[in-house]
Amino acid sequence: MYDNEIDRSKEITILELLDRVLNKGVIITGDVVISVADVDLVYLGLKLMLSSVETMEQLKSGQSIAGKNKQVNQAMQ
Amino acid sequence: MNMMSYAIVSVKNNSDKLNALLMGMKGVVGCDLFAVSYDDIYTVVSNVKGANLIADKINALTFAGVIDTLAQQFTLLPVRFGSLMGSADAIVKMLERNRHEILQNLLKVENKYEFGLKVFCDSGKLMEELRLKSGAGEKMHLKPSPEIKNSVYRDYLDKKLAEHRLEESMLAYVDAVITEIAGRLEHLGAVNNFKKMVSEALIIDAVFLLERDKKAELIQVVKDLQRQNAGLRFILTGPWPPYNFVDLDIK
Repeated sequence: MYDNEIDRSKEITILELLDRVLNKGVIITGDVVISVADVDLVYLGLKLMLSSVETMEQLKSGQSIAGKNKQVNQAMQ
Repeated sequence: MNMMSYAIVSVKNNSDKLNALLMGMKGVVGCDLFAVSYDDIYTVVSNVKGANLIADKINALTFAGVIDTLAQQFTLLPVRFGSLMGSADAIVKMLERNRHEILQNLLKVENKYEFGLKVFCDSGKLMEELRLKSGAGEKMHLKPSPEIKNSVYRDYLDKKLAEHRLEESMLAYVDAVITEIAGRLEHLGAVNNFKKMVSEALIIDAVFLLERDKKAELIQVVKDLQRQNAGLRFILTGPWPPYNFVDLDIK
């Protein structure tokens, strides 16, 4: 029970950290070339607003950032 | 070769300390870290080839680790993962153009840490408690209307009304918890930002910006809240660099 609690807290902390690194902070406008794990190089152009690896995968397939953000939030719940 | 930015740092005549710290650190994919400056503002960067910058968990955690280490010694503004610029000159120009706004933001977060507080509940149990609590009142209000004789319509309306009242009770309950948290934090001078009903289980997702030396007091406040609200689960995270308190649109 106690171990489960610790594991859950660790999981939440990592999710919190990834959410901050990928979704918060200063956004600097620039040309961005990023590749997503096991996906080909993706060119995203100016004013990139990274949300998550999954978001980028969806961007590549033509879905909106807003729609994906909703899914990421749901997945974190 | 692009430069990846990690954080905008307020150095205050202590650039040697920053450079010494960067000497012993590595950035994403093991690249060396260095600082690009304009006046008294420094941006910590590393060279990175586009093909190397993979947005995976390891790189994101490495990126966060650099920001966290710097935040322990300097006031800074974290930069979002994936912000690349073509050259040191472009970074200097960016700092020059945005110097005023950057300094204002640095001042706002000076000597402060961000904390996160998540409040979870067993939504089924809580709903049931609220339903029972408001049960008596509901019965008084739900007198059958003489105009609605068909029981199917009446049942439907009664059901919808009951759901609506339960939602209102739930929101009122969450608001009361938020008021309680905000009240307890008032004496700490924390800047708060609350999101409510993020999901059925996560009823409050809050972030606070707090003086660094008030961490122990915050922990005590959360312990007290947990003790007095046994049906809820409070999870405090942090200290974090001020990711949620940057109000800056870089030009």
